[in-house]
Amino acid sequence: MQFLFTLGSLPIMVVLLLVTKCKLEKDVKGITYGTGAGILAGLGCLGLFAAYGTGKNTSVVTAATSLYPMVTVVLAVLILRERLTWLQATGLAFAAAALVLFSL
Amino acid sequence: MHIAAWFLFTMVVLGFWGACGIVQKLSTDRISAWSSMIWLVVGYALLLPWLWPGKILFHYSTHNIVWGLLAGFLSTLGSCGLYAALKCGGKASIVIPISAMYPLVVVILAPLLLHESITLVQGCGVGCALVAVTLLST
Repeated sequence: MQFLFTLGSLPIMVVLLLVTKCKLEKDVKGITYGTGAGILAGLGCLGLFAAYGTGKNTSVVTAATSLYPMVTVVLAVLILRERLTWLQATGLAFAAAALVLFSL
Repeated sequence: MHIAAWFLFTMVVLGFWGACGIVQKLSTDRISAWSSMIWLVVGYALLLPWLWPGKILFHYSTHNIVWGLLAGFLSTLGSCGLYAALKCGGKASIVIPISAMYPLVVVILAPLLLHESITLVQGCGVGCALVAVTLLST
């Protein structure tokens, strides 16, 4: 399924190439991060399809996997030095609670 | 202690997609949103040789092929909006959690279209997850 998923994303790349007239920035770091994001997202999708493939309820798998911002927020604080508010910290606690409930 | 396979796969998703959010932000800090999107798809495509399912692909029903292609198309279309938001100066710790509220749609549609039901504990988990994503986006 991941193979088809990737093929389905190609038309959008073609449209974007037409819109930008193939004039892309040559910032090596930007390109590396951009491509790396695609690889990470693709590997994450593999995990998602594998989770769906176990036959577990779609709502539960989707809600559980949508907790990935928990990791992003922690990494944003550690790597990008973004600040965490009290509400976001409470959100992390709810995310942890959700994962415990899903694991039961 | 037994850990269900779906839960382990979910942890894999959280790790990869969680890190992906940071890398997306770093990318849009340096190049345009559209360029970032193009390189995102290139990253997807780099995995294609390992994803080739073999001859079984030709035995998939037309419906399944269309669903697979449509999933990739819609997901990538959604990513365009995400990149545009990050490029407009949105903080990764705000934009990524807001974009992760899509399960609201899935939780509503899955029982209606797929006729699935969830247990009370799972329902509480879904509720906690939605509250968590809402708070993380504040």
